Amino acid sequence: VSPAIQRTIAVASGKGGTGKTTVAAHLALAASRSRNTILVDLDVEAPDSRGYFPDSEAIGPREAVLVSVPRFTGTGCTGCRTCAASCHFGAIIAIGRTVTVNDKLCKGCGRCVAACPAGALAETEVEVGATSLFRSGALDLLEGRMAIGDIRSTAVIEAAKRRASRAGAELQVRDCPPGVSCPATHAIEGADYVILVAEPTEFSRHDLEAALRLVSGRGMQAGVVINKDGFGTADVAELCGRYGIPVIGRLAFTRERAASGAAAKLWADDPELMGGMEGILAAAMAAAPQPAGGER
Amino acid sequence: MMTIAVASGKGGAGKTSFAVALASCLGSSCIVADCDVDAANDAIALGAMLAGREDYHAGSGYRIAPGSCTGCGLCAASCRFEAIRAVPGKKAFTVAQELCERCGACLDRCPSRAIETFEKKAGELFVSRTRAGLVLVHAELEPGEDSSGKLVRRVRERAQTLAGAESRIVVDAPPGIGCPVIASLTGADLVVVLVEASSSGIKDAERLIELVESMKRTAIGVINKSGLNAPMDTRAKAILEKAGIPLAGEIPFDPGLRSVEERGLTWAGVEGPAGERVRSAIGAVEGVLGGMERKKHHEGEKEKLA
Repeated sequence: VSPAIQRTIAVASGKGGTGKTTVAAHLALAASRSRNTILVDLDVEAPDSRGYFPDSEAIGPREAVLVSVPRFTGTGCTGCRTCAASCHFGAIIAIGRTVTVNDKLCKGCGRCVAACPAGALAETEVEVGATSLFRSGALDLLEGRMAIGDIRSTAVIEAAKRRASRAGAELQVRDCPPGVSCPATHAIEGADYVILVAEPTEFSRHDLEAALRLVSGRGMQAGVVINKDGFGTADVAELCGRYGIPVIGRLAFTRERAASGAAAKLWADDPELMGGMEGILAAAMAAAPQPAGGER
Repeated sequence: MMTIAVASGKGGAGKTSFAVALASCLGSSCIVADCDVDAANDAIALGAMLAGREDYHAGSGYRIAPGSCTGCGLCAASCRFEAIRAVPGKKAFTVAQELCERCGACLDRCPSRAIETFEKKAGELFVSRTRAGLVLVHAELEPGEDSSGKLVRRVRERAQTLAGAESRIVVDAPPGIGCPVIASLTGADLVVVLVEASSSGIKDAERLIELVESMKRTAIGVINKSGLNAPMDTRAKAILEKAGIPLAGEIPFDPGLRSVEERGLTWAGVEGPAGERVRSAIGAVEGVLGGMERKKHHEGEKEKLA
């Protein structure tokens, strides 16, 4: 059996709380009615996608995300401090012939271990988070979750991306973290299409511009969904026009939707909303770059 | 000097709106530090006049000089972040900047010295004066740049250098619980845990509370967007109570509170019952803050005597 072509849509935003998770969850649900779909929660600091699928059940083991950090063996150290000089993250303190490693700051790059001329550093694994696989009806859901107090969100995001690809679904819908720095860039990396969710407020418009610059700078195909349409008066569409990124959907604001959103209730039976999702999905699939010769 | 950080875990919970409203009530010596450098909105919320700016550099990035690369692949083998990839159809490698953690492991391994470092402006730091006369320290990270935690620390430290002994600093933290949030909460005397009264908001606030506890910060709770869903309002209160965090107040989901910056207001200046609830919550935060200041002052006096 030749593997199906995998497509990936990333749902991102710039500003938090504009409705990324709401859009990602509904989009994945709509897609799962016609194709093998996996929803991938990459907002590993605040993973909320599963909240929309309270009936979901684990269909695979929880997999720990491990990072290899150096351990000072105490033998052979000449006190040269090459290890500390090689570390860009301030995770190593070398005083005399004693090396202290701050596990929390270490990114696990292994540079110090390779650099030590005396072989005085070994490696050990620390857990920085986990991935878990669930199923709700026809939809699979992969959740990445960073350990509280950790800073290595990107390690968890990359692990979740790898596991999601292994799952082999035709379509991946990624729920990305807010912002435009490393967690967000890792989350959108490798996607065929990026959906940016904005709301018509000045705050969202400002933050959307940073996200538009990010996807434009990367040459990624993207479209904007205006959520809570009618909630404010900021002209999001004009901004999108300036960046040449189309508005591919609008979800009207109503107090009822806000209330059911507060309870993380799916509007699975709302034909208007689910129809809107079909439209967004179609726009994203049509605009995503076509894989050459069926190979990726 | 006292530092109050406003955090929520979830994005869009109302951190910025509450932080600027709080700052507007704390007097003209209050300094606002917008630590959400990915999505900095305090300047919009407070109406900022730029007083100064400086470039921010995050540190060296790495790239491979195509002419010098022999295609041996040792760099790719040394990279634990899968950030170095073969150039299709060529005997050469390239760095995927969006995946590069800038550790420099590849630099050590390359036998042909093909890897070069480069410096790039990663953002800007600003000091502004707000419409109401407050000092605002804020920053904009270049989209796609790494190390937002470092820029957050820069913002916080700049606010501290501008603050007087009696100043209060209001830190507007980013969403999440990761690196930039930890950098925002470091040094905070009081953390306002803003709980959005929603399923996601409550889960994210629970994770934030665990972080705040592990950092041994004093916390006070504010519930936002209440009145949409009664069970959520109850749960929001319950998680604060369980953590022993006092509740300063509940702010309703009210159309009168949206986009108030367009009218030159903060939430604290909104008339009617919703504004009243905001002012009452701020009053409670100020009460706790005042108590902490007196205690700090008293301890300082005791130390002087000793």
